[in-house]
Amino acid sequence: MPGPVQNNGLSAAASALQMLERKQQVLANNLANASTRGFKAETTFARMMGNQLAKADTAVDLTPGTLTETHNTLDLALEGDGFFVVDTPAGERFVRNGNFRLDANRRLTDDQGNPVLGENGAITLPPGTVEVDATGLITVDGKPQQRLRIERVAPGTDLEHEGGTRFIPDASRQVIPPAERTVKQGFLEESNVNPMSAMTEMLSVLHRYGAAQQTLSTIDAVRGIAVTDLAKPV
Amino acid sequence: MDPALRAAATGMMAQQTRTEVIAHNLANVNTPGFKRSRAHFEDLLYQTVQGQQVLGENDTQITPAIQVGRGTRLAGVQRLHEQGPIEETGRNLDVAIEGEGFFQIQLPSGETAYTRDGSLQISDQGVLVTSAGYALQPPIRIPDDASEFTVSATGVVSVRRGNDIQPTEIGRIELARFANPSGLLSLGQNLLAPTAASGQPVVGFPNDSGMGRLQQKSLEGSNVEIVQEMVEMIAAMRAYEINSKAIKTADEMSQIANNIAR
Repeated sequence: MPGPVQNNGLSAAASALQMLERKQQVLANNLANASTRGFKAETTFARMMGNQLAKADTAVDLTPGTLTETHNTLDLALEGDGFFVVDTPAGERFVRNGNFRLDANRRLTDDQGNPVLGENGAITLPPGTVEVDATGLITVDGKPQQRLRIERVAPGTDLEHEGGTRFIPDASRQVIPPAERTVKQGFLEESNVNPMSAMTEMLSVLHRYGAAQQTLSTIDAVRGIAVTDLAKPV
Repeated sequence: MDPALRAAATGMMAQQTRTEVIAHNLANVNTPGFKRSRAHFEDLLYQTVQGQQVLGENDTQITPAIQVGRGTRLAGVQRLHEQGPIEETGRNLDVAIEGEGFFQIQLPSGETAYTRDGSLQISDQGVLVTSAGYALQPPIRIPDDASEFTVSATGVVSVRRGNDIQPTEIGRIELARFANPSGLLSLGQNLLAPTAASGQPVVGFPNDSGMGRLQQKSLEGSNVEIVQEMVEMIAAMRAYEINSKAIKTADEMSQIANNIAR
């Protein structure tokens, strides 16, 4: 039976390989979403566990993306932190992609048809000129309708990606007071993926992967020697 | 297959689509009233990978699960309705809209379609039609003895009849506006149709709230800007390239993994 040190070395190298594979998967997903509006990159960081096992954790990087002007009335972007809230069959979700539209019942929805929520629930708009001010108050032909619900999670809390540029909020969610918001009408937020840093990170992952493989092979070779040579009769 | 390989492949496909949209924009750089489009994408579903279980001397620790995304896909192609440049043509029957409205025209099927292309003609029946031959709605009939066709900023169409000194008003152009013009469906031939996403048309006279005023003897040019499209194209190409590098890296990592066991 191999000793504890050898065992630890092997599993540490193996878990480093696994951790780097996960990192590469996360980076590939970030790069694939370099032009996905409202997308937030995932950052990975390695942690050493008690027994020297490396573990990749992910967190959503909430750095804002660039805002691009689209001149579409129902395109909304948020400057600063916070999320729009949409009502999906699976529950309320956060989105930064404010590419909204009206459905057949004149309800404001996201690009997949989920209602966007205001302070009093789903938002139905009468025909007319839609204006949205910085606090998220929607007016049609100057008549106030609803104010959008814009929420954030407590600093340091992690959000979960759901796909479709939606995020699953946790219990720490809270409404952002109107005075602290900046909603921009006619703008959309681009992906916050920085291809340059993702590329650099990917190369470093590749090199470390090679090194971890070398380590693993070396430990294996040492173990091989231990098993074959030490067992030989002198 | 390696999830990284797959995610990167979806990224390459996305950039391919983005380039197709850019090529279409560039092909329409001289189409009157054309509005450029942008492809937009959404991330695919995420897989939650369970954390490792670590057995310590005194306790067992389970590390939190991590999320691995599966790449991207096309969510839609969005038209950008910025005003195109108003170009003076000097032609009497050219009418440009400065603002948000659309001309309403009747298709042979009886349905109404919408366009920003105001290069009008007079049909053999004497009504105002678009260059494709579809009648403006509501129809405006030009009398046989008419001369000096004028369109005012508010859409009033007048002509001088026979030897009259004063012009006669023969109709008024109405425009339609949409809550979300980017949701309109392209029918080709510079025509657009309403959808659930665009909302129903709001009809009104030119120069009324946000409808846009008319300018005769002018056409709205395409809002495609070559330099902007070039920049987009370079960005798409670089993103394509970087996703191909992600594929290469994932492949090299698989090779390394294969070398573990000799």
